[in-house]
Amino acid sequence: MVEVLRRVDCGVVFDERQTCCGQPAFNTGYRREAQKFAKRFIEIFEESDADAIVSPSGSCTAMVKHFYELFPDDEEWRKRSERIAARTHEFCSFLVNVLKVDDVGASSSGRITWHDACHGLRDLGLRDEPRRLLKNVKGTEFVELQNADVCCGFGGTFSVKFPEISAGILDNKIEAIEKANVDAIVSGDSSCLMQIGGRLSRIGSKVKTMHIAEILASQE
Amino acid sequence: MTHLSSETFGQNARDALRDPILHGALRSLADNFVERRRAAVSSVDDWEGLREKARAIKDETLLHLDKYLLRFVENAERGGVVVHWARDGHEACGIVLDLVNGAEAKMVVKSKSMATEEIHLNEALESAGIEPIETDLGEWIIQLAGETPSHIVVPAIHKTKSQIADLFVEKVGIDKTGDVDVLTGTARRILRRKFAEAKVGISGVNFGVAETGTILILENEGNIRMTTGLPKTHIAVMGIEKIIPKFADLDVFLKLLPRSGTGQRLTAYQSLITGIKRNTDDEGPDEIHIVLLDNGRSRMLAHPVTRQSLACIRCGACLNACPVYQQVGGHAYGSVYPGPIGAVITPQLIGISKAKQLPYASSLCGACREVCPVKIDIPELLLHLRAEIADGSRANPGRKKQFGEMVAFRLYGAMWSNARLYNFGTKASRLMQRLIVRDGKIGKAGRFISKVIPPLGAWTAWRDAPAVAPRTFREQWRGKLESNDGN
Amino acid sequence: METRGTNINENARATILASIRQSLAASERLDRVRSEHHHASENRSSVGEQIRPAISQDALIENFRINLESVGGRCVIAKHENEASDYLRGLISRRQMKLVATSDSNLVKRIVESITDIEFIQNASTDVLFECDLGVTGAQSAIAETGTLVLESEAESHRLTSLVPPVHLCILDAGKIRQTLGEILESVGAELSPTITFITGASRTSDIELTLAIGVHGPAELHVIVIAD
Repeated sequence: MVEVLRRVDCGVVFDERQTCCGQPAFNTGYRREAQKFAKRFIEIFEESDADAIVSPSGSCTAMVKHFYELFPDDEEWRKRSERIAARTHEFCSFLVNVLKVDDVGASSSGRITWHDACHGLRDLGLRDEPRRLLKNVKGTEFVELQNADVCCGFGGTFSVKFPEISAGILDNKIEAIEKANVDAIVSGDSSCLMQIGGRLSRIGSKVKTMHIAEILASQE
Repeated sequence: MTHLSSETFGQNARDALRDPILHGALRSLADNFVERRRAAVSSVDDWEGLREKARAIKDETLLHLDKYLLRFVENAERGGVVVHWARDGHEACGIVLDLVNGAEAKMVVKSKSMATEEIHLNEALESAGIEPIETDLGEWIIQLAGETPSHIVVPAIHKTKSQIADLFVEKVGIDKTGDVDVLTGTARRILRRKFAEAKVGISGVNFGVAETGTILILENEGNIRMTTGLPKTHIAVMGIEKIIPKFADLDVFLKLLPRSGTGQRLTAYQSLITGIKRNTDDEGPDEIHIVLLDNGRSRMLAHPVTRQSLACIRCGACLNACPVYQQVGGHAYGSVYPGPIGAVITPQLIGISKAKQLPYASSLCGACREVCPVKIDIPELLLHLRAEIADGSRANPGRKKQFGEMVAFRLYGAMWSNARLYNFGTKASRLMQRLIVRDGKIGKAGRFISKVIPPLGAWTAWRDAPAVAPRTFREQWRGKLESNDGN
Repeated sequence: METRGTNINENARATILASIRQSLAASERLDRVRSEHHHASENRSSVGEQIRPAISQDALIENFRINLESVGGRCVIAKHENEASDYLRGLISRRQMKLVATSDSNLVKRIVESITDIEFIQNASTDVLFECDLGVTGAQSAIAETGTLVLESEAESHRLTSLVPPVHLCILDAGKIRQTLGEILESVGAELSPTITFITGASRTSDIELTLAIGVHGPAELHVIVIAD
């Protein structure tokens, strides 16, 4: 992601103090812990005068947008949350909607397809942006995945609390991927890639999983 | 007639996943209804605007529910309808029983009503020696089978035509047939006599209009018109959240509900009932009774997040869109209301402790929120309930499994909120994983590891797990990325 | 007619109302917090407040016909009442119908007057209705955009005649057709009959394996004769 951003003349800094946005805690109901993470995130990034905070994860970005919900009794923290949220962008959205770039000079090979990660799609409205970016990767053929916008079945702790259901949902996704006859499946969320890739690997599939940042950075 | 319980959702789900017939039925439901809904939605110019308007109407109503409820009652009573108030299901059943006994009826015809399922009305009637006859085809089928509905709109979706045919052979005495028209015709033939004989008809209500005291009930089969038109007494059970303020508001909801529920522009019949007949010789019942049902609804008003549960118009679209429902079907939820809406209202209706798994039975994908005609944010509701459960286990760390989870999250909170500990953790796991990583990935975990780290066992039962990267992003950044920044 | 003590009912009512009010009061603070964050949507479209373009009667009839047929209804346009009678006579003879029920509509009365070789039963008893082959009614209005008939009980006794026999034939004056549901709600809302019935096509179900079956408890066939003079 850093390489791609620099390629399009965007300066990047990384604050090593950052750890986690706290989404796993929030999603499992542990709001006290989630609040801790949120405050830390907000404090660290408030110190930066960068124009934008960019994340390679739709679900983390969505979490940041929801920080305000962790402070129902604290107006000050709510306002700080909203200010940080306003500066935070998901990677594809940042490229296309903020930098107004949909061709990052990437090149690769093979048939590729895109899986819409749920938070990115439904919380952040990302649908066209990743497709536009992918269609401009020279040397690749983009195909639309059937039911691309249906969940992969990860859902955080859901995947281990109800692993059989998660696997059932995942199988539908794998079926669609096999039908699409692609060389790689691309997505914007590593959790989806872990879920899908984990199964592809287990069944010995040749299909690769790639994060969109990876393929956009590629210049093979 | 053992029905599944919400408390065993996990096991219910596992059993459901092993049922190939159910799998086929659910696949067909998903393919069919998702497409039908999409087509119907595209026939409306401003679907989003309609949803916004509907949600705004519901919000306004719920925020002043007492006012609108009283207005509804006043207008209904002015038309000669008798209105009864029921605090809970038990009270509601008692009211209905009194009315049925008052009418000296030993048999009643019923049309499909989720509210009557919720209060287990049929059981109450049967215990009192009264025979309730379900008249909606799907409901009649499951009544014959001794089952509960598995979907809000198509209650017998989990049954194949062949299973239904066998059921008819056994319970009704016809020859086995694969002809849907013959099966339907059989239901028509048998149930028609019941409509004619019944002294009491019991229905639900889709919408109650405060401005006029009108109740609107919609359907495709005609059994509601029969149930509410033929017997001398009509009893309508209505959740208090069914109120809408103005008659004109029906326009919005009639555009949303049929499209969302069955992909139709309008269902075959809508009955708008305002008061009893004006002359004794006119058609229709002599008496109309409305039983207003609270049963936990008023409590849901107490928080903005839970209040939206009451906006539900029972279309079933969320069920059809839900990847979890598509896998396990309705019975696995072990509750009257299944699917996404069921997962959020069941804990509120029967108590969180009896339905603790349901709020977690979701990947939070948000497909339900997308299709909900009244824009209920179900994921938000699920998260709200999860927080309540987590707070509950903080307060009462009883059960071992939850205690373990709580400790794990406390640890995660402590370690990962410290950069140094976070980095240490990454390095440590990179070292320790050498025990289990092969070819750059972690395969199926053995029994020992699964016991020590249950999530890893659960994950690797179906999927490989990736190894921690040889060089983390931080290490790369420190290595060369930082210095390569042109700015 | 209180079979339950009025006191108990009053208590229940008071309890429920109190519970509602208590809950709403409890959520006030949180509602304020939320409304901070959720701004009212600016482009909230004014649904239902659109200016309706005037539609010619011919267009209304055509819309109605197309939409009725799309839900499996049969639509016939008649230029005079005689043509309507002819159609009805033809239907009865083709199907060899023996018993035909009619509502108390004057229009229906006129249409069936000229058909003498069969007995029409007005305001048939329930038992007789269940034996009838056909029910004939009028309609007070209709919705073109969905092919829907609108029947009001104060204007016409329609409930059972349009429901019980396996075939329903409706005679509709073209001047009563409106384009939208909204318009109809406005007009019937002015003076509400005890029962208003909207009928869109024949009775149906998909309860068995999602396979469509027509004619469950209501009529399996719907014929509408639109009289457009």
